[in-house]
Amino acid sequence: MNNDIAIRTEDLTKAYKSFWGRRKILALDKLNIAIQKGEIFGLLGPNGSGKTTTLKLLLGLITPTDGRAYVLGKSTNDVAIKSKIGFLPEESCFYRFLNADETLDFYGQLFRIPGKERKLRINRLVEQAGLEFARKRPLRQYSKGMLRRIGIAQALINDPDLVILDEPTSGLDPIGTRETKDIILALKERGKTVLLCSHLLSDVQDICDRVAILDKGKLQLAGTIDELLSSKNVVEILIRNLPDEAIIEVETFIKEKKGEVISIKNSSGTLEDLFLKIHAANISNSKTDV
Amino acid sequence: MQQILVIARQTFKEAVRNKILFVFIILGLTTICCSVFMPVVGDGREKIKIVESMCFRSITFFGTLAAILLSASSIPTDIENGVLSTVTTKPVQRTTIILGKIIGFIYIIGVLLIVMGGVSYALIKFTALKQSHQGNSELMVRDQFDPDTLQITGEPTRKIGNVSWIEGGGKGSSVWKFKGLYSKDRNDDLEIKADFLVESKKRYDWGIPVNIKIINHVTGKVLTESIEISRNKPGLLRLNGESLEGSGELTIVVSPENSGDYIGISSDSLRVFFGKKSFGYNFLKGLTIISFQFFLMVIIAVLGSTFLSLPVNILFCLFVFFCGNITDFMRDLSTVINVFETHEHEHGLSALMKKSNVFVILLDYVIRKPILLLSYILPDLRNFSVGKYFTDGINIPCKTVFMSFGYAVLYTFFCLPVSFVVFKRREMA
Ligand SMILES: Nc1ncnc2c1ncn2[C@@H]1O[C@H](COP(=O)(O)OP(=O)(O)OP(=O)(O)O)[C@@H](O)[C@H]1O
Ligand SMILES: [Mg+2]
Repeated sequence: MNNDIAIRTEDLTKAYKSFWGRRKILALDKLNIAIQKGEIFGLLGPNGSGKTTTLKLLLGLITPTDGRAYVLGKSTNDVAIKSKIGFLPEESCFYRFLNADETLDFYGQLFRIPGKERKLRINRLVEQAGLEFARKRPLRQYSKGMLRRIGIAQALINDPDLVILDEPTSGLDPIGTRETKDIILALKERGKTVLLCSHLLSDVQDICDRVAILDKGKLQLAGTIDELLSSKNVVEILIRNLPDEAIIEVETFIKEKKGEVISIKNSSGTLEDLFLKIHAANISNSKTDV
Repeated sequence: MQQILVIARQTFKEAVRNKILFVFIILGLTTICCSVFMPVVGDGREKIKIVESMCFRSITFFGTLAAILLSASSIPTDIENGVLSTVTTKPVQRTTIILGKIIGFIYIIGVLLIVMGGVSYALIKFTALKQSHQGNSELMVRDQFDPDTLQITGEPTRKIGNVSWIEGGGKGSSVWKFKGLYSKDRNDDLEIKADFLVESKKRYDWGIPVNIKIINHVTGKVLTESIEISRNKPGLLRLNGESLEGSGELTIVVSPENSGDYIGISSDSLRVFFGKKSFGYNFLKGLTIISFQFFLMVIIAVLGSTFLSLPVNILFCLFVFFCGNITDFMRDLSTVINVFETHEHEHGLSALMKKSNVFVILLDYVIRKPILLLSYILPDLRNFSVGKYFTDGINIPCKTVFMSFGYAVLYTFFCLPVSFVVFKRREMA
């Protein structure tokens, strides 16, 4: 076996059967992927395309109808290997009567992390999740985004080598999204492998090294983002401080060279940039208030 | 092991925080305390009996209800909420989850049992104390002795089922031998309880006179008494324990006084109550047996939760609990339905059924056999009912404690592995 491979699937197939075993839904059809150690891998696809199903299969939550999957070199129903995996489920499900600290403590204990170390990690993760203000509140009083944050914290409690995230940014505000992306990039920096799935393409595009696109349970495309997106005969030029008449000159020059101008417009930035700017201003304001 | 305890503690915490535990404690305590205000006919002893039986009934009822509702709902709720799908992605064996849950339920029910048991004990003691101020007796616990042998002498008797009929007037008599009657204090009361069927050619106002001869073989002392036994009230004879004089062995000869009077007896219709035992110890034994029943229900509920949804599982457990209390009735029912044994002279539907047609076979396979099978598979919960011991003030034999323990162990051995296997294959979708 190749030691550089974190996850490998061989013709992984899952058909959900109805109670009487008749109606079948082919949720995943002969998936073959290999994910390198140390990369951020994105699983894309429309709703119901089989992303969550793939992750559940990899975690041994459900059994494949056919095919095999190996995670960190072991079969998926190996319990021991799970101490090296962190998982964020699609829906944030926790014991509703526990608070943030207790939740993380519970999972930490399941990983047999010794008490002192556990406390340190919990403090760090709560801080990282930005939930210090609510750490003693039971989770049933949490908002959706707050639950998402505690979910991410929970996935990292064991300092995993492989992190599997099912729609990590769903329900998060733009800042949370940004922070989450930063967390994921930091994990990569530390040599961890990340497998995430999402249908928010911008998220994936920002951070993933490689992506696979699923549709109706079938693998449609796989490769690095650049490979998938680069179109060889289109060039983008970003220019600052160019007078209007110069733009017209450039345009005619391009036409002389038999090029085709697709669009010329003022760069507008993204809403995300604006949001982040406002939030940053707020923070500095509130700091001066204090 | 550590993981099991983590899950157990979590389960307990959940039950405390969603207040279900308190609801059960409050309900249980309310009914227990209500027993004090029950109207009583009879003397102080009756009052104590009422309190005792009410206490045990409430503990059994609310404890079982709590055991079923808590343990039947916990795992299905966790699966439906998706919590378990997160827990199973941690390095936790699924068997660990099950064991942790079970131990968590034991914590919960243990608390319930300790609280309700403690209050019950205090209440019973208190009632007894109050009664003794009024000159009535204290809490009494005696051993119950079943006859070692029964011999029937005299004229050949009619026997119907396992009931033998004996005619009086010197025509026949029953000889009962008792062994192992020991007590620390020889002055304890020795009570003989005769639970006979009676039949007579004459008419009596109250009951038929019956002669009882008590023979002590060691001392050769013979005591003759006469009591009246009626159709629906067992005859009671209270003696001073000295008639035993330490022999520990007693022969009791019983026969109706007059010819034309009959008594119907079976091998355990005559019992002897003797000795003085600690009430507290007996109380503890009672609670132990009840707790085995709770444990049994937990095991069954956990088995159900590995493959049933929440409402179905609760129904399943209630069904088991209900049927477990009527297993002998179910067995009787299946003999009633046994249409193959219809008699020759029958007409109509039953005559039609005599021939094995499709309907008969269907009835047999769809109703009779399943009921019979069920009555043998389901736990016979009457083994765990201790109320009768307390209403009669009888010392619970250690055998009964061991039996109920064995029962719980047996079911654990069958149900737990099945739960493990089923839960291992369960998809946490
Ligand atoms: N427990 C289940 N029983 C039956 N069918 C299921 C089950 N879970 C998922 N499916 C089906 O499997 C297919 C893939 O579902 P999956 O949850 O993997 O989609 P997804 O890609 O994660 O979608 P989304 O973007 O909405 O999260 C769907 O058609 C869905 O209906
Ligand atoms: Mg999904």
